Amino acid sequence: MIIDLLAGAVRGGTSIMYAGLGETVSERAGVINLGTEGSMLLGALGGYAVTAHTGNPWLGVLGGAVAGALLSLVHAVLVVSRGANQFASGLTLYFLALGVTALFGVSYVSTQINAFDDVPIPGLSDIPGIGPVLFDHDPLVYIAFFAAPAIWWVLFRTRVGLLVRTAGERSEALGVNGYSVKAVRYWSTIAGGALAGIGGAHISIAYADSWFENMIAGRGFIAVALVIFAMWNPIRIMAGAYLFGAALSLASVLQTAGYAVNQFALAAIPFVLTLIVLAVLGKRTMLAAPDELSRVFDNSRTA
Amino acid sequence: MRIRRSAGALIVAAVVAVLAACSPAVSNDDTGSTSAATSTDSAPGKDAKVVGVIAVGPKDDFGYNQAVYQGVEALRKNFPDIKVLDAYNIPEDDTAATTMESMVAQGATIIFATSYGHLDAAKQVAAAHPDVVVVHQGGLLDDPAPANMGSYFGSVYEPVYLAGIAAGAATKTGKLGYVYAIPIPQTLANINAFTLGAQSVRPDVEVTAVSTTAWCDPATQADRVKSLLSSGVDVVTQHQDCTKTIIEATEAAGAYTVGYHADASSLAPKGWLTGSEWNWGPLYTDIVKTAIAGKFTGSEYNANYRANMASGKNPFVSSKFGPSVTDDTKALIAAAAKKLEDGGSPFTGPITAQDGTVKVPAGETPPEETVEQMDYFVKGVVGTLS
Amino acid sequence: MSQETKGTVDGTAAVAAAIVATAVPAEVPTDRGPRISAGWSTALRWLVAVLAGLILFSAFVLANGADPIAVYSDIWTSTLTQSGQFQQIILRAAPIALAGLAVVVPARAGLVNVGGEGQLIIGGIGAAAAALWLTPLMSPWVVVIAMMLSAMVAGALWAGIAATMRLVVKVNEAVTTMLLNYVALYTMLFLILGPWKDPKALGQSTSVELNDAAKLPVIAGTQIHIGVIIAVIAAIAVWFALTRTTWGFRLSVVGGNGEAARRAGMPVVTLILTALLIGGALAGLAGFVQYAGMEYKLRPTFGLTIGYVAFLASWLSRHKPLPLLVASVVLAAIAVSGNSLQINSGLPAASVNILMGLLLVAVLGWTSPRKATS
Repeated sequence: MIIDLLAGAVRGGTSIMYAGLGETVSERAGVINLGTEGSMLLGALGGYAVTAHTGNPWLGVLGGAVAGALLSLVHAVLVVSRGANQFASGLTLYFLALGVTALFGVSYVSTQINAFDDVPIPGLSDIPGIGPVLFDHDPLVYIAFFAAPAIWWVLFRTRVGLLVRTAGERSEALGVNGYSVKAVRYWSTIAGGALAGIGGAHISIAYADSWFENMIAGRGFIAVALVIFAMWNPIRIMAGAYLFGAALSLASVLQTAGYAVNQFALAAIPFVLTLIVLAVLGKRTMLAAPDELSRVFDNSRTA
Repeated sequence: MRIRRSAGALIVAAVVAVLAACSPAVSNDDTGSTSAATSTDSAPGKDAKVVGVIAVGPKDDFGYNQAVYQGVEALRKNFPDIKVLDAYNIPEDDTAATTMESMVAQGATIIFATSYGHLDAAKQVAAAHPDVVVVHQGGLLDDPAPANMGSYFGSVYEPVYLAGIAAGAATKTGKLGYVYAIPIPQTLANINAFTLGAQSVRPDVEVTAVSTTAWCDPATQADRVKSLLSSGVDVVTQHQDCTKTIIEATEAAGAYTVGYHADASSLAPKGWLTGSEWNWGPLYTDIVKTAIAGKFTGSEYNANYRANMASGKNPFVSSKFGPSVTDDTKALIAAAAKKLEDGGSPFTGPITAQDGTVKVPAGETPPEETVEQMDYFVKGVVGTLS
Repeated sequence: MSQETKGTVDGTAAVAAAIVATAVPAEVPTDRGPRISAGWSTALRWLVAVLAGLILFSAFVLANGADPIAVYSDIWTSTLTQSGQFQQIILRAAPIALAGLAVVVPARAGLVNVGGEGQLIIGGIGAAAAALWLTPLMSPWVVVIAMMLSAMVAGALWAGIAATMRLVVKVNEAVTTMLLNYVALYTMLFLILGPWKDPKALGQSTSVELNDAAKLPVIAGTQIHIGVIIAVIAAIAVWFALTRTTWGFRLSVVGGNGEAARRAGMPVVTLILTALLIGGALAGLAGFVQYAGMEYKLRPTFGLTIGYVAFLASWLSRHKPLPLLVASVVLAAIAVSGNSLQINSGLPAASVNILMGLLLVAVLGWTSPRKATS
């Protein structure tokens, strides 16, 4: 049963991780995007549709990334260029994405696609215990193993990452050195949306192999919360994402084993868990926020 | 300036309040809408020109709502002179009432409310428009029903019982899986009937029932199925609105599938055993025919109409068999079906609940209304109801 | 353009102008000349924004194979000018307006309350609880008052969770209120499928129906219940509190510059707390109105999307309580028009979300005060 739970954690947490990594990049540059859920929805539908039309799930992943990035591009325009309130913009775009995907997804509900199959890694997947947990999944899960360290490396060891972090900590320094803060924020937000789109695509082309409206069911918001208590650190994002994957899988495992746990309590667990973790770790983590982001959090302008 | 602006805003608010207090006189389409019927012919639905149908989900979900859509298409074919208005994704709250009202305003005098949770809205609309026939799919009305209302459904658990026989015969591990949404009586009756059917072939069979809390959430469905399959379940069935995700996952794992709501055998070429599906066309057509003739009130449809196999008109029918079902199993199922057609019931006692209490004593058969308020799992079901 | 469609466009423009006229921002220069042109330029920008939203939506309609002109004229004839449907619009606007006030009040203090959806549900639970326990004991009018108070307290407490987290651990309320929405939904589902399930509902998963005498009375000759009046009174009360009281003034100082407010000695913590609590109470009131005026029982889709639409309404009206009433009616009209969109034009119900979203995106993009983020 534990094996099942851990395997489900890895499988279910992957999409949250992609979205969380994307949101980390965006927030590191000073832009919070509550529309992440919308980017995931668009990624799920975009990925599904492209896979259906091309027969190639990898193209689907690309399609999902593009779809997610388009939504966050609108967010960037509204927030970076037009000065709109970041929370309002994100949530409005979530609402819009909800409607758009429901509308355009109608014809894909009964479509079958050539989805990603699970690829057990020869040898490794036979190791008792960690074999099925880590090495018997679809390709996007394996890529995700490297995504967090990769994003960490980009953020903390490359010049691009330095630009992103400076935009979030001390944006004046960028202007002084001839870089455009707006451009850095644009690209960070777009990258965030692209990664969220991949996370969404994972759900539709690898996890469930289906599309249905509103199928992301709150994972995007969990990802945004995850970024906060992972203290904007990609490695912690990975751990946190798997933790939430476990929370989501808990219901399946307990029910299959016949345990008498109320199904609504189980459904609420991921969200309650998020709130509890935020409550416990919140103060310390909020202090670790990039300076510009702190300003957004403290005094979200409403004008 | 501020005072003037605020005054302007107050005027707007006052206008809104005034508008709210008196209904505007404009009304484009007066046929059959609002208030007491002034028509000379008071039989509800007589000579209907417009029929309205509302459904809770999308029309191509490979399941429940797709079946409704097929029924709508049958109506359009059988009544070429009638306009059939159909609306999908109508949630089970006052939106349903608003939508039905809007259809009535466009001249509908027969309305089908096809989702379980549309009942309250249907009752509301029926009460407001005595000249409109409102029929609800699946609910239970108080006895006696209002003159213009009725509910209709099939005894869904009958083909599910027969499918259970196929499942019990096919399973090698003795573990079956049932994925459902929320524990409404219809679902419990299905799960219990499935279990009883399987137990008739293999008494030690175990049915693990897991819930997704939603009628169509593919990600959750995928997770539940994976969990069931890895616990040794080798036949999976479901009570969900959309059936594709679970069937595909089951097929990919090489296990057997029992379908529900629609014939999805194309999704599971190897593992499909059988299933149950809707054939609403004949029933919808007959209801409309009865209403048009002015004969709705007092007819069999002006009540809780349930068509079971004994009546020969059960709109829920068994799906075709898959390649792996043996002739012996088919014979067993045919024999069981004959018993049901002769008036038998899967729930003829003794029926024991999970906790050991005897819910139906030996030899007795509970009436339809009791079955539709079922609130327990039978012995052999793994899972809890809280 | 035919007479009918021209009427549609005029009608839309009139509605847009109404929003615009009452939503002019407060910072206006005092001498005659610039004031007039500043006011008109804002009005023009609003008009452009709304029309842009409508044009974008027309593109969606076309992409789905329907005719935009026919769609708009259909909405006009089958929804906006139908007596019954118009009343439905007003009925639907009432809880939207109340939940919108739940966004307005905290917004004044610079807070983003997205939890209207959940606070409304908790308010409904509070009202249902009061009805459940008090109906056999007290007279109907006492029950109604108890329901209202119970709903407001419940909503306030739910928002209080987010408020506490903001004040104690500094976690932004936008995130916490959003998460609490999901928890509220599951809490309600647990209740109506478990301890509060109505045994007489013949299998339906709802709570016990409210006693007839405790249902909100309806204005004679219409379908409008007094919850609509409650919403209007609440909007006026909030307007008064925000613009005429010290508390309201202090809230806007906190919202403008929290640091300055702190230095000026204002009790910022108390102000933030009261803003969110009152917001929650207003959303709870929306839940009461929806429960006792429309639904009479809790069911799985109770209050669905009201909170989110209210959030949009509050933003559309720039968080001003009286224009909020107009915005609520506009959005309610769009929601109810969804029927016409679906039945006659074959567009899926989700189109309504798109229209609302596009309107707000256009408004956010074209009417935000120019403010660099660097």
